[in-house]
Amino acid sequence: MRANGALIVLLLVLGGCASQEVRYRQLPPDTPAANNAVNLEKALALAAQAASSSKNAKPETAGALAPITPAEAPPLATYDPWGPFNRSMYRFNARFDEALYLPAANHYRMLPSPIRAGVHNFFGNLAEINSIINYTLQGRLGRGVRSLGRFAINSTFGLGGLFDVAEKLNIPRAPTGFGTTLAKWGMHPGPYLVIPIYGPSTLREGMGLAADYGTSYAVNVANLYRGGQSWALGVLNAVDQRANVDFRYYASGSPFEYDTTRFLYVRKLLIEDTGLHRTRPAKNPNLDAPAGE
Amino acid sequence: MKQCVVALALAILFVFPVIAADPAPIQPPPASGPATGLADLAALRATVFGTPPQDIAVLPQKVPLLEMDLALPWARPVPAVFWFNRRLRVWFSAQDKPAPLAIVIAGTGSGGNTAKLAILRAVLYGAGYHVLTMPSPTFPGFIVSASSTGVAGDLVQDGRDLYAAIQQIIAHLPRKVQITDIDILGYSLGGANAAMVKSIDAAERKVGIHRALLINPPVSLFSSVGRLDKLYAITLGNGDAGVERFYQKLYAELANRYRASDRVELDEDFLLGAAASILNTDAEFSAAIALTFRIALINVFFAGDLYSDSGVVVDPRHPPNVNDSMEETFRILRGKPFSEYFTKVFAPYYLRRRPNSTVNELIAENRLDFIDDALRGDPDYYALTNSDDLILDAAELDWLKRTFGARIQVYDHGGHLGNLGDRQQVADMLDMLGGRWKGGAQ
Repeated sequence: MRANGALIVLLLVLGGCASQEVRYRQLPPDTPAANNAVNLEKALALAAQAASSSKNAKPETAGALAPITPAEAPPLATYDPWGPFNRSMYRFNARFDEALYLPAANHYRMLPSPIRAGVHNFFGNLAEINSIINYTLQGRLGRGVRSLGRFAINSTFGLGGLFDVAEKLNIPRAPTGFGTTLAKWGMHPGPYLVIPIYGPSTLREGMGLAADYGTSYAVNVANLYRGGQSWALGVLNAVDQRANVDFRYYASGSPFEYDTTRFLYVRKLLIEDTGLHRTRPAKNPNLDAPAGE
Repeated sequence: MKQCVVALALAILFVFPVIAADPAPIQPPPASGPATGLADLAALRATVFGTPPQDIAVLPQKVPLLEMDLALPWARPVPAVFWFNRRLRVWFSAQDKPAPLAIVIAGTGSGGNTAKLAILRAVLYGAGYHVLTMPSPTFPGFIVSASSTGVAGDLVQDGRDLYAAIQQIIAHLPRKVQITDIDILGYSLGGANAAMVKSIDAAERKVGIHRALLINPPVSLFSSVGRLDKLYAITLGNGDAGVERFYQKLYAELANRYRASDRVELDEDFLLGAAASILNTDAEFSAAIALTFRIALINVFFAGDLYSDSGVVVDPRHPPNVNDSMEETFRILRGKPFSEYFTKVFAPYYLRRRPNSTVNELIAENRLDFIDDALRGDPDYYALTNSDDLILDAAELDWLKRTFGARIQVYDHGGHLGNLGDRQQVADMLDMLGGRWKGGAQ
């Protein structure tokens, strides 16, 4: 009964029951001075990086991989045999985001930043367990040890992960998951898939996501994933993630947004895949197929 | 002989009316000067990368933000594919004391909360203004929710739509907001829109706009976009092959750089660093600029075609539905220049609405000199531009200087908006809007 009531409220919200002339939404204040300071820091880091890379530039060694040529770029069209489902799901996600997810994230962003940073660090620290396991499965033991070190340092000196002490010790976060492990094992991304609430993904990444959740559930650190508080923690984690993603559905105003998002997401994934392989992956016939819509 | 006369009579009766009913095809407006206007390589680079953070003016720590979604009474029925654009979305930052209001209009195809608008909002708020940022009338969200025609790009009509929308927005601002004066400004096409809105207000007096500031405005809309068409044709070629080549090159460059790095994710920082080293030559910067503009135009073209039933890419009998794939439409539109929007959608539509107009008149109405008298005679119009702006040619820059006289500041460098928000530009902007401008060195 209670579930039915909640469903009705959700449908009303998603259906746009508010039809008044003007809708107001108070957003977290913009922080231009801080934003520009971050941009300046990045620009200086880029300049330093460019200077050092030009100084330390080495000629390519015989053992280096041959560079990827333009002819090897995947076609402009994206493999999307589930297009109609994906488009419906993209639309659902946009409505859900506008009605519930983004407002929750905006309220959350009004909390003092040390509290938000603590929450973000806490969940980031829990995710290190998946990173340790997956780096090991990927055979990248050095990175696995780094994640283990981060987890140990932050869980102890960082008070259960609330503070990212490891970052200050110059051991930055480098999360990975089972989707990347599958890619490392040679699995191609597969068809594009829009996952409810989560958003753009592919079949492989979707499988990875499910496996990551399964791993967290199985490991169940401090009974966080199975105890009575697990739902509340799950919601808090989701809100924290949304608050840290600078994306607004249909901010482009464009009827082609689904297509451009799909294009950019899949290209990003494919480029990340190239960073995993020491040898060139076999050509995927699916990626050469026209969009299956 | 009699047969000849009959044949001639038949020809006069049947052929000539056909000729009369099928006028010469509409010619696109000519684009004068080089494809990159007044820009050199430094100007193209500045246009792509914008103002370096170290040159940005002092910004406030916090700027409050209120998002307002308005359902406008004159809005047309919303096509299924634009379901998300039912309401006009604008952003408002209120001072907690009586203050002047600055209305800021975005450039071609942009929404009301772009990075450029965020900089202008910050400096204006920091200087004590209430700030309202608005989308361009060529932004699809505006076209669907606020345009009375759906066919964007007409300076006069877009000005009227903006003017009507501004009245509605001001009427619905939070009650506690106290406005002491109203100024309007805009960048790029938004600058021309701002000038038009002020000139409409001067006649209708429904808002009471005091000063208008045009930042890097075009002089002739169609000349500027015609040059961008030319730039696209030169750098990317016609059709899809050029776009595909450019994409493949960028993809390979990014993939190789990513593989050479030790990153585990392709994030914004990586892209910034990669862009700084991938784009180097005139041709590469030009291609990036031309492609960015073309993508903005795709939405304008699509919406105009849909609303005017022109049938160029949208079958008026079977408009696309929410779940239909738009990929093929996007691919076709990618290859279509602005000139085709003008000849097949814009001009036929506006010539139908204004039967006494000609194509040349349409082109003339979309030049800033259409409101030449106001720009020359009214001391409350100001302009900021750069002597290496790619959307201007030498004659157009000269016209701006002559028209605005002491009320224009022309910087030597900056390209198109590549110095927006820098310290000198912001100081001049605030002097102009505050009525403290004493005239600049030109």
